[in-house]
Amino acid sequence: MGRKILLIEDDRETASYLARGLGEEGHGVEHVEDGRDGLFRATDGSFDLVILDRMVPGLDGLALLKAMRAARVETPVLILSALASVTDRIEGLESGSDDYLVKPFSFGELLARVNALLRRGEGKSAADLRILVGDLEIEPLSRVVKRSGKPIDLKPREYRLLEYLARNEGRVVTRTMLLELVWDYHFDPGTNVIDVHVSRLRRKLEEGFERPILHTVRGAGYRLAATV
Amino acid sequence: MRLPTTLRIGLLAALLAFLSSAALIGFIHWRTYDDSVAAVHEQVAEASSALDDVYSSGGRRALDKAISDTLGSGDPQLLAAVLAPDGAARIGNVGAVVEPPLPLRPGYRVGRIQFRGAATTTSVAYLLRRLDDGEWLLTGRSLGERIRFQRILESSLGLALAISVLLGLICGLVVARYVGSRVGAMADVADSIAGGDLAQRVPLSGSRDAFDGLARQINRMLDRIAALMEELRLLTDSLAHDLRSPVGRLRARVEAALAATDDSKRDSLLGGILQEADSLMRMLTTVLEIGRSEAMASRNQFEPLDPAGLIDELAEMYEPIAEEAGCTLNVEAESGLPIFTGHRQLLAQTLSNLFDNALNYARSGGTVILFARVKDGRMRLGVADRGPGIAPADRAEAKRRFGRLDSSRSTGGAGLGLALAEAVAHLHGGALELLDNGPGLRAVLVLPLDGVSLP
Repeated sequence: MGRKILLIEDDRETASYLARGLGEEGHGVEHVEDGRDGLFRATDGSFDLVILDRMVPGLDGLALLKAMRAARVETPVLILSALASVTDRIEGLESGSDDYLVKPFSFGELLARVNALLRRGEGKSAADLRILVGDLEIEPLSRVVKRSGKPIDLKPREYRLLEYLARNEGRVVTRTMLLELVWDYHFDPGTNVIDVHVSRLRRKLEEGFERPILHTVRGAGYRLAATV
Repeated sequence: MRLPTTLRIGLLAALLAFLSSAALIGFIHWRTYDDSVAAVHEQVAEASSALDDVYSSGGRRALDKAISDTLGSGDPQLLAAVLAPDGAARIGNVGAVVEPPLPLRPGYRVGRIQFRGAATTTSVAYLLRRLDDGEWLLTGRSLGERIRFQRILESSLGLALAISVLLGLICGLVVARYVGSRVGAMADVADSIAGGDLAQRVPLSGSRDAFDGLARQINRMLDRIAALMEELRLLTDSLAHDLRSPVGRLRARVEAALAATDDSKRDSLLGGILQEADSLMRMLTTVLEIGRSEAMASRNQFEPLDPAGLIDELAEMYEPIAEEAGCTLNVEAESGLPIFTGHRQLLAQTLSNLFDNALNYARSGGTVILFARVKDGRMRLGVADRGPGIAPADRAEAKRRFGRLDSSRSTGGAGLGLALAEAVAHLHGGALELLDNGPGLRAVLVLPLDGVSLP
């Protein structure tokens, strides 16, 4: 199901690469190169997502974002930036963006984040709804997890990991996304720390069951789905 | 540009000397002149009223006698006379009143008269009093001696003024020359430093004066700049050097991938390339992070933190990693630790780096301790291991960016972890301590409890 994405990016090579990739995923991409044009287009409210380069000519990305939020445009915004330090990331997130992706990035990472943001925009993530993924059943209120009716005992962090994966059912979730959204750490720990936690979760979810449910997507991340 | 300054200072000193001397001399002149004039006035008035008393009681005869008695006392400065209404001399030692010109008026004034029988006129102060029959009683004193004294005083004072102005000018020039040469030496050093010669230092005179103090401060500043420049040079050198090998490996792998005919082999080579690129990115990000922290750029992101919470979160995250490495992770966080102000992300990143290091060096079956405690009013967050540790002599090198103790390590982040830890400690107004854990290393972030003042 295609969605409308506004891409504000002055680097033409990156822009055409992104527009092509997102187009192949079925999204409609409108591309502007200038910050002022971007703000003008973003405020007409017809987009489902804005992808914003932090340093565009005309108007600085963060200023654009603040102007947009001041105009009560609540469209999700994903910032792209070559500024990679923890400080820069936090600054970006605090100025009203929904996600922050550091250049260079893999297209898989971008797509996973775009899909997560678009899904959030659908408003289906009400915390009190029961989440079902195949035979896996998650009760967000009581934090009870069952598979085929059999209760699975999870530690609090494992539960949050699972809930995040389940809310993005069928979509790829990257290691960095998990680190940022489940642990709220915006730095690269440089070890396989996420892999270890995911494999522990997988062991608990899949032990005694034939069918795998937590899949590793090579070179990208993880996907929770009843089918491969 | 410097010579006019010297002159200006000299002239200023001369002007100040002139003004202060002039004020002083004016004061002396005013006091001595006024005093002498007042004294003469008083004497003249006294003599006049005494003679008038004689006249009132004894009449003209008695007056004539009193005048001749007064003049007979032998004081050559004294004037006493009775003049006719038209000013002609009757008795006494006055020949004629010359100044002010006739007609005579009663009262005290300074003027000139001619002594009886004298050829020249004399400067005098006199008092005229009209007698009953229209004649004038004149009493007065010759001012000759006083005026001479006054003149001598005035010329001495004038000379003193000239001398003080000259001395002021000379002192000013000497001081200006001295200051100019000391400042000039500093300016010369500043010039050559601006020209690129950082080795120059301001010479000290050895007199321990304010100039030496300033020179020492400038030299300390220059030492610091030189040290920073050296550090920066080392940093760029090592950055270039450290980039060379991973970029080289990257290139080799790309070449191999291009040459690969087998799909699965190519895939695994490409995977390796991705990893290599990621580790390069990580290294660059860490270098930038250190720079940002040292520039104190992220203090506005400080927030209140619970030290035990910070440690527990990290322990929860790393416990499975430790388990996989066959190590035990222990948490030592005192209960009731005070909340402190800090950068959660950077502290977590630093501690996770320290933990990673500890895990790399702790042998399998070893224990790594994450701890938080308060000692001597400072927050101590850190990691302790039982590995080989770092010899005291090597600790400074270990904290340096790209400082390598163990050249066999080739992971991307190596050589930066402790440098980042130190930069983050500095950001918090604290320090990184590397201590002996007997055996092993105890790396501690020592942070002020009251927090740095937030901008």
